Amino acid sequence: MSTEPTGRVSPIEALSPASRAYGTIDVRSEHPRWGMAVDLERCVGCWSCAVICKSENAVPLGMWWNRILTDGAALDTPSSDDRGGHDLHWVPLACQHCDDAPCQKVCPTSATWTNAEGVVLVNQDDCIGCRYCMAACPYGVRVFNWGDSEYPVPEGTGMVAPRPVGSVEKCTLCVHRLAENQVPSCVWSCPAQARIFGDLEAPESRLVQMLESRNPTILLEEKGTHPKVSYLQPRRRRPLLAVAAATEIETEIDSGEGS
Amino acid sequence: MSTIDAVVSGAGGVGLAAREGRRSGRGWNVWVGLLVTGLVIGFGSFVYQWSAGLTVTGLSNTITWGLYIVAFMFLVGISAGGLIVVAGAELAGTHRFEHVNRLAVVCSVAAVATAAGTILPDLGRPQMAWKMLVQPHLTSPLVWDMAVLSLYLVIGVVDLWILTRRPVPAKSLRVMAIVSLPVAILVHSVTAWIFGLLVARPFWNTPLLAPLFISSALVSGTALVIATAAIVERLTNFVVGGAVYRGLRRLLLWFVAADAFLLFTEVMTTFVSGEPDHREQLDVLLTGRLAPVFWAEVTIGLLLPAMILVFTNTRRWIVTASVLLLAGVFAKRINILFAAEFDPLVGLAPGIPGGRPGQPFRPDEIYLPSWVELGVLTGMVAFFCTIVTIGVRYAVLPHQDEDPVLD
Ligand code: SF4
Ligand code: SF4
Ligand code: SF4
Repeated sequence: MSTEPTGRVSPIEALSPASRAYGTIDVRSEHPRWGMAVDLERCVGCWSCAVICKSENAVPLGMWWNRILTDGAALDTPSSDDRGGHDLHWVPLACQHCDDAPCQKVCPTSATWTNAEGVVLVNQDDCIGCRYCMAACPYGVRVFNWGDSEYPVPEGTGMVAPRPVGSVEKCTLCVHRLAENQVPSCVWSCPAQARIFGDLEAPESRLVQMLESRNPTILLEEKGTHPKVSYLQPRRRRPLLAVAAATEIETEIDSGEGS
Repeated sequence: MSTIDAVVSGAGGVGLAAREGRRSGRGWNVWVGLLVTGLVIGFGSFVYQWSAGLTVTGLSNTITWGLYIVAFMFLVGISAGGLIVVAGAELAGTHRFEHVNRLAVVCSVAAVATAAGTILPDLGRPQMAWKMLVQPHLTSPLVWDMAVLSLYLVIGVVDLWILTRRPVPAKSLRVMAIVSLPVAILVHSVTAWIFGLLVARPFWNTPLLAPLFISSALVSGTALVIATAAIVERLTNFVVGGAVYRGLRRLLLWFVAADAFLLFTEVMTTFVSGEPDHREQLDVLLTGRLAPVFWAEVTIGLLLPAMILVFTNTRRWIVTASVLLLAGVFAKRINILFAAEFDPLVGLAPGIPGGRPGQPFRPDEIYLPSWVELGVLTGMVAFFCTIVTIGVRYAVLPHQDEDPVLD
């Protein structure tokens, strides 16, 4: 199973107690339901979380469990909106750990399952590689082991065992770290602290508080999948009314200059 | 496509053998040689793919299902012929198709068996397929389909057994007709629901998908019976009789009309008022990358044969129209599958990782099956033809003189 530890020494273990403390989950209720928020205001699109995810979870070359999409532009060239500002933000995308997960419903062998803490997982021992879950996931976050895995270093990477050829894998919310009361790797490593991880059942957790105080959105809400990953919308965007007023002023200045 | 070729050549070989009236005729030997070659190519490709992984296919994390699934949908569809000719005629109280009923059921059994076999090479880990049997997850349409397809296969075999009894036990035939009709409707609906129940794929996620699969199945199933009957008739002393063609032509006209209507209402509703996601995936067909296939499907695979069927009534033209309709339905399967896959819901740059070392991010521009996939397909065609050959040889030809021929 993908969650079995490999016995390697985690770089985090090797770090100072302060680093370990930094990665400790803030509060944990009696029956936790893990969730995450990505603060789009803070995300700088550096791909640190995507890369550490690969090394933490032994994700082979060519495959990604976590990647950074660009909303509002082709690749990473910012486009201008009609207000003259940059209309672009990053959307880090990994498994949304849907409460009503379409991938799980269609899996013919129950290889895809949800653990007691709400984490959607794939049991590779049971996966027959039909890729039905990939057709069913609206977010396109599952990847398939097409052939033999290749790693940037011959001995491979990762704190968990690699998955067999012909099976499907995806973000596990770093369950092996949750067991040690550590936040997922991508959360720990984000240099902009754009990722907030926590227990959705604990009102005093930072995650729940952020979700209450900010403007969270979820991806493809209309599909009814109820993801446990939310996106906090940037606050720096000018509200629409202010934009309209500003545009008017600009127009006036323009026409004033023109006459 | 190749299935049709295969049916043509398959029946041809049988015909040669039958005409010569002995099992060891030259045509028979050539035919058996072809079948064995096809099976060896298919099996070899499958084993190679199994050892190397699906990396040797043209599939990716965007186009996760390809030729095998197109073939699966098509094969399930063409299995409808046996039911129409046996159960449909039985319930309608007509004896018009009695002469081809065994042939039709043989085709159905071959189609269902091959369809089931098609799933195996599509799996990443065929060695794990048994898990589907010992721990089936009951909410998965794939599990439902496995159940109804198995049931359908059993019904087909029992039907064939009944039809080769002399005299044919009329009561059993009637019971089987009543049992098989709902199962057949389920087979095509459940196959549609494999796709149609996915919120992730707006183009599939329409209530019309099951009716569309049923209408396409009726069209391709009937067309297959006509085409196969014509070939067997041409190459053997097997006589079908004009009444069968004319009767099937009338049925086919109704089926084509229903199929065209359902397709039109689906496209029209989505085009005028569909959700943006659904509309975008439809645009892949109307004006996008699949437009050539889609418009070929509509013109050459649907309108042209419909016109032929309306205005002509000769054997030659009915058979021509049937072959075109089979090609049209195959194109339709391609269009349905890839319209949703080419345009994933979350399509933001840089896209979905290709999946192999060095493969870039992005939804694929196009999907082309690899040689391995074509090799496996060759094997499936050979498998289909082998079953048809055995069926024709041992179930169809032996009793042909006992059937009434209506001209
Ligand atoms: S995001 Fe996709 S893979 Fe993850 S739980 Fe939801 S449907 Fe499943
Ligand atoms: S590929 Fe594996 S996890 Fe996905 S649906 Fe099939 S058996 Fe389940
Ligand atoms: S939670 Fe763990 S597995 Fe999931 S994206 Fe983050 S690092 Fe990768």
